[in-house]
Formats: sequence, C-alpha cells, structure tokens
Amino acid sequence: MGFFLETLFGGLMAGMLYSLVALGFVLIFKASGVFNFAQGAMVLFAALAMARFAEWIPAWTGIESRLVANVAAFVLAGAIMFVVAWLVEFLVLRHLVNQEGATLLMATLGITYFMEGLGQTIFGSDIYKIDIGMPKDPIFAFDTVFEGGVLINQEDLIAAGIAAVLVVLLSLFFQKTATGRALRAVADDHQAAQSIGIPLNRIWVIVWCVAGVVALVAGMIWGSKLGVQFSLATVALRALPVIILGGLTSVPGAIIGGLIIGVGEKLSEVYLGPYVGGGIEIWFAYVLALVFLLFRPQGLFGEKIIDRV
Amino acid sequence: MKERKLGDVILDVQNISLAFGGVKALTDISFNVREHEIRSIIGPNGAGKSSMLNCINGVYTPQHGTITFRGQTFDHMNSRQVAEMGVARTFQNLALFKGMSVLDNIMSGRNLKIKSNILLQALRFGPAEREEIRHREFVEHIIDFLEIQAYRKTPVGQLPYGLQKRVDLGRALAMEPQVLLLDEPMAGMNVEEKQDMSRFILDVNDEFGTTIVLIEHDMGVVMDISDRVVVLDYGKKIGDGTPDEVRNNEDVIRAYLGTSH
Repeated sequence: MGFFLETLFGGLMAGMLYSLVALGFVLIFKASGVFNFAQGAMVLFAALAMARFAEWIPAWTGIESRLVANVAAFVLAGAIMFVVAWLVEFLVLRHLVNQEGATLLMATLGITYFMEGLGQTIFGSDIYKIDIGMPKDPIFAFDTVFEGGVLINQEDLIAAGIAAVLVVLLSLFFQKTATGRALRAVADDHQAAQSIGIPLNRIWVIVWCVAGVVALVAGMIWGSKLGVQFSLATVALRALPVIILGGLTSVPGAIIGGLIIGVGEKLSEVYLGPYVGGGIEIWFAYVLALVFLLFRPQGLFGEKIIDRV
Repeated sequence: MKERKLGDVILDVQNISLAFGGVKALTDISFNVREHEIRSIIGPNGAGKSSMLNCINGVYTPQHGTITFRGQTFDHMNSRQVAEMGVARTFQNLALFKGMSVLDNIMSGRNLKIKSNILLQALRFGPAEREEIRHREFVEHIIDFLEIQAYRKTPVGQLPYGLQKRVDLGRALAMEPQVLLLDEPMAGMNVEEKQDMSRFILDVNDEFGTTIVLIEHDMGVVMDISDRVVVLDYGKKIGDGTPDEVRNNEDVIRAYLGTSH
C-alpha cells in the first residue's frame, strides 16, 4: 500500500509539471484561438534566461545572496517574457488578424524555431542549473498509518503548491474580471470583439505575457528539478496529450489532464511494465490521447463544438 | 408625426467607392443619416449592402470618399475607433461569443464603459465591484427589454437561431450606441420572429432614440419600419427617399422585378 501511494504521489508531481506547460497552451488558445506551438520554446527561453541571470547577477553586482540573485533573475526573466510577448504581437500576430487558425499555428511554429535558436545564442547551449533553494530532503508521511510510511519529496510538494496558487489566480482572472471576459470574447470571435471596441492587439499582448509568466514558472520548476537544457523545449510534446485529454479550452482540464497522465504513466510502468517488458511511460500518454481523439475529441472538459449546417 | 423627432445629419457618406481587385463592390455612393432616424439600405443579392455597412464600420477602407460622423471626417479608421465613437453593429452571420453565456456576451458589450483597472477587478475591490454591479444592472435592463430573461446563463451556442439574433442585438445595445448598424437582422427568420425583431428595432429607436442603419433583404419589413431607404444595385445607388418614393421608383422596380427587353 505504501509503495502504491509513493508511486501515485510521484505520478501526481510529474503530472503537475505537465499541467503547468499545458496551461500555457490553454491560456493562449482560450484567449486568442491560436494553438501556440511555441509554448515549449517559451519554457526553454524563460528557464535559460532565469538560470543565466541568476549566475550573472552576483558576478555583475557582487551581491552574494542567493535569494536576491534568484528574485532579481525571476523579475528580469519575467520582463524578458513581456518583451517577447510584445514582439510576437507587433511582428507576427498583428499582421494575421482574422486569418485561419492553421495560418496562426504555422506562424507559432516559426516562432518556436526562432526562439529556440535565439535563446541558445544569447544564453548559451550548455546544461545550466536553477537553484532556488528548495529543500531536497524527502520526508516521511503517514508513518503512523502504514509500516514505513510514504516517502514524499519536499521539492515536489512546494512545486505543487506554486502550481496550485498559479491556477487559482488564473481562474479568477479569466472568470471574474472584465479583462478576462474580453479575453474570452476575443477567443470566440475576432471581428465581433473588435466591433464592441475590444482592442485586439492589447489583449494579445496580455495573454502572451500571462503565458510567458506561466512558461517561466514551469521552466523554473522543471529547471530546478532536472537542469535547464535544450530538451526542455520538447517538454511541450508531453503537454500535447494533456490538452487533448483535458480539453483545449479548459484551465481545470489542463490541470486534471496533467495529473491523470502523470499518474497513469507511473502506475502503468510499475504495475503493467513487468508483463510487457517496460517502457510504457514513454508511450502511455500518446496512446491515451489517441483513445480520447477517437471517442471524445473535445476532451474531458472542453467545449463541445456544435456546427450549424 | 415621426418626421418631427428627426434631428440633424449624424452620419454623412460621400462618394464612397470600394473595389476588391477588379471587382467594384461600391461605386460613388453618397447618402446621409439623420439623428433618431431608421435608415435602411436595401438591394438584391450582391448589391453591395454589406460592403457599405463594413465601410461605415471600419472593417473595409474605401478607396475613395469620406465618411463624416458627427462633424468629424474620416477616410481611414478601424472597427475599434468606430466603436469608441459610439457606433455598434450586429452581424449577418452571427458572430457571438459562442462559449460564453448570454449574460457574459451582453456584458462584453460594456467593455468600453468599464473604467476600473485589471488589478482592482481581480480583487473585486470596492469601486471595481460597484462598477461591475452598475453595468450588470444596465445589462439586466437590456435582457428584460429583449425578453430573454430565461436564457441568462445559457451558453449562446445552444440557443435557437432567432434568440441568438436577439443576443447579438443585446450586445450591441449594451454599448449604448448613438448609431446602431444592423446587418440583415431578420435573415433566416420565420414570420413570427421577424415581427418580434421589427418590434424590438422600433422600440430601440423609440425608447433610446438610437439612430438605426438597417440592411435588409426583405422589402416588406423595410418599407414598414424605415423613415428613409437607400437602394443599391450592382454597387450603384439607384434610389433614395421615403418608402413610398422608393416603391414607385422605376429603377428600383426594374432591379427587383427584372425588366423586359
């Protein structure tokens, strides 16, 4: 039982990280109807910026405090993501208003390659580490309930806490504010949104900023767990099944989809792995996504698309 | 009797020409709209009615001509600027925010009126909260007016077509527009729905004094509710005047009924 729970928690934590990346996709899609292929590249870019600034700031200013360096690096990386958001809008999206979704998707594909290259040119392409001082020691929980208790990674717990706070804030923003309503309006119909005076360009900058910050938080947590390297960009591929499962338009869907996939991967690997020779973790998410595409293409929480003939 | 309430010219369209490549959608169109008026633009399919509306609305930029709104002349503007000046519109092919509820759709029409900043909104802090409530009251008034109270929380995508058209109108009304552009508000409706919609249009004009520019295909409805009518055919203006004058205009009859050669 203890072992099962440990596997379950491990899966939940991994799932939380998938969720964070998926969240970036959902935000931009919800608010602008653009499937942003560049989300993975944004995670890499933000994490690289944060890792490098955390190294450079003590060298530039001579301040030794790790807390100061990390906070300053986070703020600087955030500012850079704002600039990226503004440039994406100014150089790309502005010229593609009222275009087909596929056109916008291809544009974000271009942005992906550009950001991957630019990020590594500016910040370097080695493996860097982000050390935000999260406690690495595992703790034992429930040791009164089972013999031996359950081993939980403290780092994972904190990451989960950060992700949860982020999600609550975003839900409030989308559902409760007039700006959130304007964002949803733009997602549904560009032309109608313009006709009621919603400034499309400003809205796009806002969502890309928000998605940039989400990418930064995701990059920070992934980076501090696994190190910052090019493979972070491919994390985005892991998030694709998550959004298919959760629904492309649902913030809670991204979270729950991520958790299901994280848990599913770990449990199937541990309990089914021995029978089929292992390696399930690698393809589990994609097979699950495939099943969903066949039987429930809108995902668990997505809006069902009804077309009038 | 209605003539008396008409005010000055609020919208003046001068010599508008619009072409898409070699296709001339509009050629040298001029007309004006007076305050509190119901002004219709009619014409057969492909006459350029929607193109005309899209020029006024800033979706298209005409190659020639000027549009004067309340004494200010423009030869180039976008939809958002037009919205800020107090011009609202509805769409021929519904362009509602389908995933959102009826209430949220209409509330989104208040967008330009909401002043409090995003941080205060998120915290639901004092003034922002009061502002939201004030806008909500106004929107409830519109919902009552359009008789869609029962569907407040329903996602608009699930409503029947006739009701969606009403929500579209409601969203435009939420902007408290001075001029309301209606693009075929009765297209695809049955007789009963058409009557309802006509009544709403007349009531809006009556109660709020909103100037209305109406595009319609259905001659009968237009003649009943319009003060003055512009007739377009193949992108040219072939008639302009009261419904009676237009009805007896030779060119108009020819355009609608065809002519024997």
